[in-house]
Amino acid sequence: MEVYRMVVIGLVMGVAFGFALEKGRVFEPGVIIGQMQFRTFTMLKMFLTALATGLVVLALLNGVWGVALHPKATQFVANLAGGALLGVGITLAGACPGTLLAQVGAGYKDAWFALAGAIAGAVAFGYAEPALRPLIGDGARKLTLDQLLGLPFWAVALTLAVALIAGLVLLERARPWREDLGPDADGLRN
Amino acid sequence: MASSVDAYGLSPHCPVRKGRTALARAAWSPYAAGILIGLLQIPAFLLVKTALGASSSFVTVGAHLAALFDPAAMDNAYFAAHAGGGKNWWQVALVVGIALGAALSARLSGTARSGVSPVWAKATGIAGFAPRAAMAFAGGFILLFGARIAGGCTSGHGISGVAQLAVSSIVTVAAMFAGGIAVALLMRKV
Repeated sequence: MEVYRMVVIGLVMGVAFGFALEKGRVFEPGVIIGQMQFRTFTMLKMFLTALATGLVVLALLNGVWGVALHPKATQFVANLAGGALLGVGITLAGACPGTLLAQVGAGYKDAWFALAGAIAGAVAFGYAEPALRPLIGDGARKLTLDQLLGLPFWAVALTLAVALIAGLVLLERARPWREDLGPDADGLRN
Repeated sequence: MASSVDAYGLSPHCPVRKGRTALARAAWSPYAAGILIGLLQIPAFLLVKTALGASSSFVTVGAHLAALFDPAAMDNAYFAAHAGGGKNWWQVALVVGIALGAALSARLSGTARSGVSPVWAKATGIAGFAPRAAMAFAGGFILLFGARIAGGCTSGHGISGVAQLAVSSIVTVAAMFAGGIAVALLMRKV
C-alpha cells in the first residue's frame, strides 16, 4: 500500500513538473546550448527561480514547523568530478536527467537514445560503485552553509532568496525573457 | 527572417500571444514555470519526506534491467539499495509523470516535437539522425554516470540541494556549469 501511494503521489507531482518544464521551454536542447554559450538565459532564470522558491518554502517548513531537511553528503572530489561530468552530459544530451523525460514526452526522437544511454550509465555506475567508493566516501559528512556560518537555516535561506530575486530582476531588465524564446519557442532566436 | 516585431519584441510567428488560456499557451515565463517547480518541494518534504530529485530513478530502473541479465545484480549493495521501497518508486513515478505532463502540455498548446531539434545541426554542423542518436546516447551515459558520482543531478543537487544550503550541492552545481560551458564553447555558436 505504501509503495502504491508513493507511486500515485509521484505521478501527480511528475505531471505538474513535466507541464512546467514544457511550458517553461527548458526541455528544449536549444535553450540548454543557448545558456551554456551565454546567448540566451531562459535556463538560468528558471533554475534560479525554482531555487529561490525552494529556499522560501524550506525556510518556512523548517523554520516554522521544524520539518527535517535532507542535505546531501559533502565529498569534494566526487562533487567536483561528478558535477563536471554531469555538465558535459547536459550539453551533449541537451538535457538533464529530469528534462530528458520531458523531451521524450514532447516528442523528440533522439531523446529515446539519450534515455537508453542514461540507464546504461546508471547501470555502469552501479557495477563500478564498489571500486569508486574510496572516491565517493561514506556519506557521513554533511556540511551546510548555515552550519558553517553559525546562523539559523531560515535566516540564511531567506537572505539568499532575496539576493537571487534581486539578481533575477536585474537579469530580466537586461534580457527580457520573451526575446530569448525564438519564433518556434525552441530557444533558437533566428 | 522575422523582420517585424510587435510591442513585446515578438515576431508575428511567436507562439507567446495574449488571448489564449494559460494551459494552451506555447510558453510561460521562466519565472512562472520556476515557481511551480519550486513549490513541488512542499509535497516532496511533507508527503514523501525527501527532496525533489530525478537521477536515482535511473538506478532503480537500471537495477531491475540488470537483474534480467545478471542473476547476481541484486548482490550489488548499490543496486539493492535502489531496487525497491516507497521513495525509489516515487521517483520513478515522478520521471514517468514528467514525460506525461510534457506530452499533455505540448498537446494543449500544439507544440509537440518530432525528429530532432534544429539546434544540433547548427551546433555540430552534422545533419542526419544516426550521428545525433549516437551523441545523445553518449551524452545520456555521461549524464547519469556523473550524476551518480556527484550524488545527484540538476534537480537533487541543483534545485533541492542548494535550497537546503548544502555545500556539496553548491560545489556540484558550479562544476556542472563549468563542464557544460566548456563543451558548449567547443561547439558552433547557435
